[in-house]
Amino acid sequence: MANVSRRYVLRTGLAAGAAVAAARCGGAPEGTPNNPATGPEVNTNQIKDVTLRLIGTGVSQINEIRDKAQEDLGFSLDMRALSTEENNQIAITQPDQYDIFDGEYFSLPLVVPSGNLRPIEIAKVSDWDKIVSFFTSGEYEGMPVEASQGTAPYKVMYLTGPDSTEFSDTPTDFATLIPFQYNADTLGYRPDLITRPIETWGELFNEEFRGKTSILDIPQIGIMDAALVAESLGLMTFADKGNMTKAEIDQIIGILKEQKAAGQFRAFWKTFDESVNLMASGEVILQSMWSPAVAAVQSQGIDCVYAPLKEGYRGWGGGVGLSKNLEGIQLDAAYEYLNWMLEGWVGAFLGRQGYYSAAPENSKQYMSAAEWAYWYEGQPASEDMVDPFGKTLAKSGNVRDGGAFKERFGNIVCWNSTMEENTYLVQKWNEFIAS
Amino acid sequence: MVLDARDMIQPAAAASEKNIQEVLAQGAAGVSLRSVTKKYGSFTAVENLLLDIPAGSYCCLLGPSGCGKTTTLRMIAGHESITSGDIYIGDRRVNALPPAKRNTAMMFQNYALFPHKTVWQNVEFGLRMRRVPTAERRVRVGEILELVGLSQTSDRKPDQLSGGQQQRIALARALVTRPQVLMLDEPLSALDENLRVRMRSELRNIQKQFGLTFIQVTHHVEEAFSLSDQIVVMDHGHIDQVATPSDLFAKPASKFVAKFIGDNNIFAGTVLNAVPDSDGLDMIELAVAGLGSIFSRGQATSVGQTAACSVRPDLLTIVSTAADAPSPQANHLTARVVDVELTGYVTRVGLLTEATGQELLYKVRTADWADAGISEGQAVTLRWSAHDCVFLAD
Amino acid sequence: MSKTWTVFKPYLLAAPQAIALAVFLVFPIVLIGVVSFWEFNGYSMTPAFTLDNYIGIFTSQVTLKTYLNTFKFVGLVWLATLLIAYPVAFFLSFHIKKLKWQVLLFLICTIPFWTSNIIRMISWVPLLGKAGLVNQLLMGVGLINQPLEFLLYSDFAVVLGMVHLYIIFMIAPIFNSLMRIDRTLITAAEDMGASGFDVFKEIILPLSAPGIAIGSIFVVTLVMGEFVTVRLMGGGQAASIGKLIQTQIGSLQYPLAAANAIILLTVTLVVVFSILRVVNIRKEL
Repeated sequence: MANVSRRYVLRTGLAAGAAVAAARCGGAPEGTPNNPATGPEVNTNQIKDVTLRLIGTGVSQINEIRDKAQEDLGFSLDMRALSTEENNQIAITQPDQYDIFDGEYFSLPLVVPSGNLRPIEIAKVSDWDKIVSFFTSGEYEGMPVEASQGTAPYKVMYLTGPDSTEFSDTPTDFATLIPFQYNADTLGYRPDLITRPIETWGELFNEEFRGKTSILDIPQIGIMDAALVAESLGLMTFADKGNMTKAEIDQIIGILKEQKAAGQFRAFWKTFDESVNLMASGEVILQSMWSPAVAAVQSQGIDCVYAPLKEGYRGWGGGVGLSKNLEGIQLDAAYEYLNWMLEGWVGAFLGRQGYYSAAPENSKQYMSAAEWAYWYEGQPASEDMVDPFGKTLAKSGNVRDGGAFKERFGNIVCWNSTMEENTYLVQKWNEFIAS
Repeated sequence: MVLDARDMIQPAAAASEKNIQEVLAQGAAGVSLRSVTKKYGSFTAVENLLLDIPAGSYCCLLGPSGCGKTTTLRMIAGHESITSGDIYIGDRRVNALPPAKRNTAMMFQNYALFPHKTVWQNVEFGLRMRRVPTAERRVRVGEILELVGLSQTSDRKPDQLSGGQQQRIALARALVTRPQVLMLDEPLSALDENLRVRMRSELRNIQKQFGLTFIQVTHHVEEAFSLSDQIVVMDHGHIDQVATPSDLFAKPASKFVAKFIGDNNIFAGTVLNAVPDSDGLDMIELAVAGLGSIFSRGQATSVGQTAACSVRPDLLTIVSTAADAPSPQANHLTARVVDVELTGYVTRVGLLTEATGQELLYKVRTADWADAGISEGQAVTLRWSAHDCVFLAD
Repeated sequence: MSKTWTVFKPYLLAAPQAIALAVFLVFPIVLIGVVSFWEFNGYSMTPAFTLDNYIGIFTSQVTLKTYLNTFKFVGLVWLATLLIAYPVAFFLSFHIKKLKWQVLLFLICTIPFWTSNIIRMISWVPLLGKAGLVNQLLMGVGLINQPLEFLLYSDFAVVLGMVHLYIIFMIAPIFNSLMRIDRTLITAAEDMGASGFDVFKEIILPLSAPGIAIGSIFVVTLVMGEFVTVRLMGGGQAASIGKLIQTQIGSLQYPLAAANAIILLTVTLVVVFSILRVVNIRKEL
């Protein structure tokens, strides 16, 4: 409510007059988008009054980024940290609660049809061409990632028009999300408890680790890990792991049930903290893990390896998009924020934690040569790698697991996905949990 | 509490002589306390009690709260251990026996009926606990319910009964185990005034009918007077006086008793002189500061000792002129009427002595007071006979 | 004027509560009921009247299996809380004489509520984990050679976690009903020859039955809808209806979740009314 009235006042001050303003207020932003670039609206006095409300997952809602953005941009950011599920729910059902949506690409097939996101005009994104080419074109130096399955970001990157809720297979002038955080997930393990290197997804179902493994209890991601394992062991094949048929879902759930009955899993995890806790306590010694979770375990002084696997990685990517509610000076501010995200400071900040930047070349200028060499080029650290919070993530001489950016990113073979048979998948997943 | 017509059914109407004889299979027993003392740590609740309660009598333990009367009752019933001394019921020493083995039964304040059990189950409880066979239980519970006139309520829960019915159920429950002694812990204190008077007479009737020994604890003087064969007045863990109601009324044995049992006018002073009077008592002259000599009768103590005397408010007379100097026949003093309270048949007149300002009470038939034509504020002379004035040694 | 006031006063006084209940309880439940008949796809739901959601639930093996598992938790947690809570409440009310100590010890029973779910769950790991205190102790005294894995992330752990969490809901009403028993009833029973066991069986137990019933209602309803403890203590491997609904909500399948919620509500109410039929709790209210 406070926001509505603030906007009301703001617009009244702009120009058009009380009647127009009132009509806009009541009528919500429908029909043609407003042209935000009219003269009097770009005004530093007014932009100070803007507050952009962000929703996103806890991983990306970092106070340091907010503070720096506020300092650089001169307006306020209000961040709200949510779970992946809540984030999607709010994005779809409560469009009035946010101005900027920070979510994962695989959520887009659910979120975009709701019409709550405003297509991003690529023309207004100054560094669009600096973004890693896979996101914008689906091409990446001929690496395996080009053939990756699942909801790869470029498949849901473009919309067919300025008001469209339809994805375009080919590049257009309208994008869904600007990439923000992305990474390649794989198996993590405790080298102190597993003395040989883990090199294939199939190890997750190895009897040797019975009762000591874990997978993710989010149906859309957990099924993908299971599929990678099953394929690796030759238990079954998929036409497209990213879009399974009912029969394929039945079969892979059947395999999971067998494994559960045999006691293969110690526990399933749903949140970042849980996965860290399971690994750090030694309850689980081998599980599918998010890259920063591996770092979190290591930061507790416990050895944990992010395993480069021969089948490749499961990728995920998140980005920031615009709410359909934005207009006028708010919308200007939002675009300023998007551009700031690509400008390099954020990329470097995230890079020091092990995430990759959407526009690596921009980030490079904010990173030291040693940092760049370690995080992006896969070279041994020439000095201790310290994250922005003062924690040492790697000692001098260490090499990043999985090597260079190209090695890791290029070997993503599938992405977190939303399948056409999503409803059926959830039903079968519940069956698996109940078994 | 509902007062309905059934409350007034006399149990006797329903009880045959045979039933009563059965209930009384064990007869009544006397109770005897021999130097009984009860201590809680360093606190002495009752000390060195000596008391004989005759079999088949109605005895009330009377006293203010904290005087030890309830402790005494609970010790007799076996709910409280005794620190020293002996308790006999009949000729059995019961010091170490549990309550159920003493041939006693207890009726509690508010009756302590089991709210979750029916009337029948409440009455049956004691028999069941004593493993009395089912068939016999059925007969005995039926009999006793008939005896108290409540057979038709046997399926109800206690909270569906009126106060009077509850009391009779509590009685039936106590009597069904055929005790020799029935103990009652302030059974009437929860009732309103009207019902209390009626229940009182019902208790008394039942006691007479059954001929059992009843020991009742009460702080209500009128109740004790109307019920008892024998009243035991207690104070601070001691027995002050054991007497029949009429003796207690006429001859309180101590200042405490005189004060506690009624509105007695008490004068404190020192013994000035004592001469033997008729029937073995002495006529004692007490010097009361500011009021001169007051004569009373009793067992004299030595001259010079402090003592007191007491006269009942109904034994005073009011005369409008001062008489001669005090004589053994007529004490008198001047007082001013300050308060007239009409309570019905009796009028209570409050006075202050002119000389010392001591409060006095005069009770008179309301009709007589109207005839006397005395108004508030008027000075009058109070007279009373030395024969009506009880000497109280300190 | 004043006559009108007298007539309307009780209604006016009851109105705020009634409105609050209607707006915040009745209306949402009705809404859930309505939504349970809607159609849905991956990202949106459409107002409609379809029985597909219910048919799906009633024809699914998972439903029965999950309900059975939920009832298993309900039964075990109820039994365990009752068996632990009753002696605790009994001890507090009959063996602790001073009110001050009763209050203090009662407060100690509420300690599980002083910490957040996450903290509480994390702290089970050092106790029950493979290298936890319990396993170390058992191995130390030579009772076992291998760590007991069932201590954590198992049905046992789920029950343990819920008992730990909800026991106070059983202790409090039983304690309350025990405190309200007129102590002269016990003296009276003893006077009539009842032994200690008789007193308990004939007087204390029946008179504390309403407390047991209220505690049971609390525990049963809480466990019926439980999903946090089930997930965290069960390591995500244990199923309950609450968790099933949560997964469906997480996957944006609101109508299906609503239908499940309506069924869960119905089943829970049936259980509660069954308890109320057995024990009259009016005296406690």
